Amino acid sequence: MNFANLLCNYEEAVAMILFGIGFSNLLMQKNLIKKIIGMNIMDTSIYLFLAVKGYISGRKAPIVVDGIQSVEAYINPIPSGLVLTGIVVSVSVTALMLSLTIRLYNRYHTLDLDEISTQLKKEGR
Amino acid sequence: MEFVQNFPFMSIILSLFAGPVSTVLNGKWAKRLNLFVITAVGCMSAAVLAFELRTKQEYVYMMGHFPAPWGNEIRVGILEAAMALFFCIIMLLCVISGVLEREREIEEGKQNLYYVMVNLLLCSLLALIYTNDLFTAYVFVEINTISACGLIMIRQTGRTIEAATRYMIMSLLGSGLLLLGICFLYGLTGHLLMSNIKEQVAVLQASGEYHIPLLVAICLMSVGIAIKSALYPFHTWLPDAYGYSTLSSAAILSSLVSKGYIFLLIKIFYRVIGFDIIRDSKVINVLFVFGIAGMIMGSLSAIKENDIRRMIAYSSVAQIGYIYMGFGLGTTFGIIASIYHIVSHAATKSLLFVAASGLTDASGKNKLFAELTGSGYRNKLAGVAFTVGSLSMVGFPMFSGFISKLLFAQAAMENQHKMLITLIALAISTILNAVYFMKTVIRIYTPEKREVIQEKGFDDIAFWEQPVKSAALVCFIVLNVFLGLSSEPVIHLIQIGLSMFA
Amino acid sequence: MEKHIVNYWILLPILLSGMTGIGLLLSSLRGHIRNKEENVAEKSMADKSLFRLHLLVGIVLVISVVLALLAAWSGERSLTLFYLMDEIPVYFHVDAVGRLFLTITSIVWVTVAFYAFVYMKHEGDEKRFFGFFLLLYSVLVSLDFAGNLITFYFFYELMTLTSMPLVLHSGTKEAIMAALKYLFYSMLGAYCALFGIYFLYQNCDSLTFTAGGTLNAGLTASNSGILLLAVFVMLIGFGAKAGMFPLHAWLSTAHPVAPAPASAALSSIIVKSGVLALIRSVFYIVGPEFIRGTWVQNVWIFLALLTVFMGSMLAYREKVFKKRLAYSTVSQVSYILFGLSLLEPTAMAGSLLHVVFHALIKCSLFMTAGIFIFRTGKTRVDAYDGIGRQMPVTLWCYTFASLALIGIPPTSGFVSKWYLAQGALQSDTGVFRILGPVVLLVSALLTAGYLLPITIKGFLPGKECRVETQKETMDKMVISLLVLAVLAVLLGVLPNPLIQYVGEIAESVM
Repeated sequence: MNFANLLCNYEEAVAMILFGIGFSNLLMQKNLIKKIIGMNIMDTSIYLFLAVKGYISGRKAPIVVDGIQSVEAYINPIPSGLVLTGIVVSVSVTALMLSLTIRLYNRYHTLDLDEISTQLKKEGR
Repeated sequence: MEFVQNFPFMSIILSLFAGPVSTVLNGKWAKRLNLFVITAVGCMSAAVLAFELRTKQEYVYMMGHFPAPWGNEIRVGILEAAMALFFCIIMLLCVISGVLEREREIEEGKQNLYYVMVNLLLCSLLALIYTNDLFTAYVFVEINTISACGLIMIRQTGRTIEAATRYMIMSLLGSGLLLLGICFLYGLTGHLLMSNIKEQVAVLQASGEYHIPLLVAICLMSVGIAIKSALYPFHTWLPDAYGYSTLSSAAILSSLVSKGYIFLLIKIFYRVIGFDIIRDSKVINVLFVFGIAGMIMGSLSAIKENDIRRMIAYSSVAQIGYIYMGFGLGTTFGIIASIYHIVSHAATKSLLFVAASGLTDASGKNKLFAELTGSGYRNKLAGVAFTVGSLSMVGFPMFSGFISKLLFAQAAMENQHKMLITLIALAISTILNAVYFMKTVIRIYTPEKREVIQEKGFDDIAFWEQPVKSAALVCFIVLNVFLGLSSEPVIHLIQIGLSMFA
Repeated sequence: MEKHIVNYWILLPILLSGMTGIGLLLSSLRGHIRNKEENVAEKSMADKSLFRLHLLVGIVLVISVVLALLAAWSGERSLTLFYLMDEIPVYFHVDAVGRLFLTITSIVWVTVAFYAFVYMKHEGDEKRFFGFFLLLYSVLVSLDFAGNLITFYFFYELMTLTSMPLVLHSGTKEAIMAALKYLFYSMLGAYCALFGIYFLYQNCDSLTFTAGGTLNAGLTASNSGILLLAVFVMLIGFGAKAGMFPLHAWLSTAHPVAPAPASAALSSIIVKSGVLALIRSVFYIVGPEFIRGTWVQNVWIFLALLTVFMGSMLAYREKVFKKRLAYSTVSQVSYILFGLSLLEPTAMAGSLLHVVFHALIKCSLFMTAGIFIFRTGKTRVDAYDGIGRQMPVTLWCYTFASLALIGIPPTSGFVSKWYLAQGALQSDTGVFRILGPVVLLVSALLTAGYLLPITIKGFLPGKECRVETQKETMDKMVISLLVLAVLAVLLGVLPNPLIQYVGEIAESVM
């Protein structure tokens, strides 16, 4: 029905597909590193979505270079700002996750979360 | 503008700065700073609450120089101020009651890091309560997650690290969905400030445009927050995280962290989307179903558990189910009941964690039920406190849990379709709660044989041996009985606070 | 203003006994370690401190009882303590029904306490027992004085909670299981009742107890079907405490494991609070008119009669003495419920009379059981053959109490059962008009069948049968038993003031 719409907004569609891939990786993968990669894909897809939403083709960045033009000439700068903030958040979360992964690996010599759980159960408390 | 009106902003900034400052202090000073910050924030919140009660008028505090549609804002009303005050009280009690455990369980050099986390957690909770900007809310949700993760893993054992990892994974799933929902909403309305979004949403709703994207955005945000606040079946990380982290962490996590998210969800319902639209969407039905499932499954898991800390943790799953069930009823009264339950559960669950630690202290630090026999006699105050907490959880009159159950049932009466199932679920869950809590209470008051006690070297713990923890326990008990006996002012406060929300 | 302050007198007995109870409980927490090798006498306290404890309990209880009776019998009083929630105050009001229940509770409580002074040496942990005992008294006073349904429910739950430790007093595994069973039945019942309360809250003008009910006719017209269901669920729920089928099974488990004074109190008072709950909810909130002639009334009558019959049959077959008495309670309390369910003044008067008489009688029967167990250490009825030679006074008291329970003419049971049967015949309840008295009669025969053999075998044991027992002494146990048994018989001889009193209550609510 709205297949044409989907094609027009192919960037958003791609972003959603990427989000799905990232989300399912984060949820389903057993390997911790793959989980983290999934998380990064998920976050990146959201930035893609925001960046796409924030850009209107043919318009300029909202920086005054040669005199103020009409409002129509510029894009909204806020989505770009949001993308930046988001990247900062996702980098810090990734760092935290990686440090956790390193600790778990040093202790249990595996990256498989289920494997770690079974080892924990064997250890007792 | 009166000076008091700066306080919300100042309390956020104060706690935010106390975090980094604590990194260069040693453990002792970091603790003092932290206690000072919590107390100061509590006092400021009380002042704000008094101011709000006097003026009976919400106000918006501009952050920076840009006015409404572009700048960032803080919004303060009665409910926000009351929540901030309450969170501070609970956090203070949780932090002081766990001092001994922290000194025992956390390495010497890392003591100050703990307080960094607590300060940041306080800051993010305050920001979640006060902010009027969705994206700011998202950022602080992440800060909240990270600091909570720090609180879990500060005690470095395999269990806690694994629990922290699982917690992070679940939280990241949740915040991914939340962020996507916020982006959708931003795409639809072009705003990030809650009040502006609400106006635009009303316009959209009136014109009938973008109905489905709006619904998707609501779904994404609700589900995201539900995952983050450990609604069944997203609770797998919870028992390990609460069961093995250090005492204050478990108490803070169970009573505050998830509640911060839930409060954000209430804000989204009332201040971002508008409650009528939420009610007409089917999202709340999903929350209702999962809430009911959580109420029952959480209790069932708790019955099977034979470690007291994990049992209390599973009971949290059930209680969070109650809160979501209240949302799911789709009436304002249901939300009031849920908010009251947030308060009552926070007061009770932290009490239970602290009391349980008192009992395990008197049983050679062992958390298994078999060892706890008769511990109510060895540590009297903890025994009494645990009994009070259990009775409150089961919903006996005189304690806060009774009032919240009464409120839930009253709220259920307003919704003809969900009335019966709610009442039945409440009944089943009450009985299940009684099974495991009463079992525990009876066990701690079943006398243990003298030889066994001597053999295992269990000590009696007198009231004055752990003065701080005892004082905290007494405060918790008083708080619980107060909420149970004179709930009327509290409910009234929630009512007018919520009416200012909409 | 002065009147206002006088009304706070209601709180005095509640606070006095409650606070003392809590104090005793807190002090009983000290140094508590079980040791199986120690025998019971050592485990119990030294004589001197024991005497002090008894003195304290006795004085506090007597003062509380006097204060409570003064508060009850000095006219109508009401007191709003504070608001639990919007429109739901904690509200006390003294009225005729509360007065009746309070008086009987007080009599039983004093005698049981007196009895327990001796008996509890046998069980140990006296401080804890008397702590909960006093606390329970304060809760019961509050329950009798409660002026609206929410306050009532509030104290009803507290009563469950404070009476449970009496059941699990011995701390053995059976006691714990029995206590849990008691707790779950009570909670299930209380929850069912709460379910009904929610509905009533929607459909009543107020939840304050008013003779004749407070249902709002305008609201009930539209949804009377579901409201009837709610009332029925509430009947079942409150019926759990009163031992009505289908939630009756806790009685026979909880009574045998509890210490004798505790089972006496449970059976005579706690069970009656279920009856009080039904009176309050049916006659003071819902109103008899609403359920008269509906399926709810019919099912209620049926359940009550079924329980009467079933309880007697089970008691007849039971060999453990206290269990037999517990089943007998199941059956006898349902006499009361049957009288209430007829919704007819004469029958209700009979019910209220039976409340009083059964409390006295069942209390003395359980005291007898306690004395037998205390002296012989045996729990089964066939172990008591020939016991009459060693303990004539006890067995005579038992015999008179039994006769009263069966309803032999000059004793009290006869009066109440007469009114019950009269009420049944006067009511227009179809088949139950005849069936009711028949079941009552059959059950009375069964009662004779399960109570009297003990007397007969006790006095006339047959050939070589000789029970090993300590000799009876006229100690506090026997004296309190004697007092109650004499009261039970005397009230049957001189019942007129009481009949007039309960008659007025019954007339006022119909």
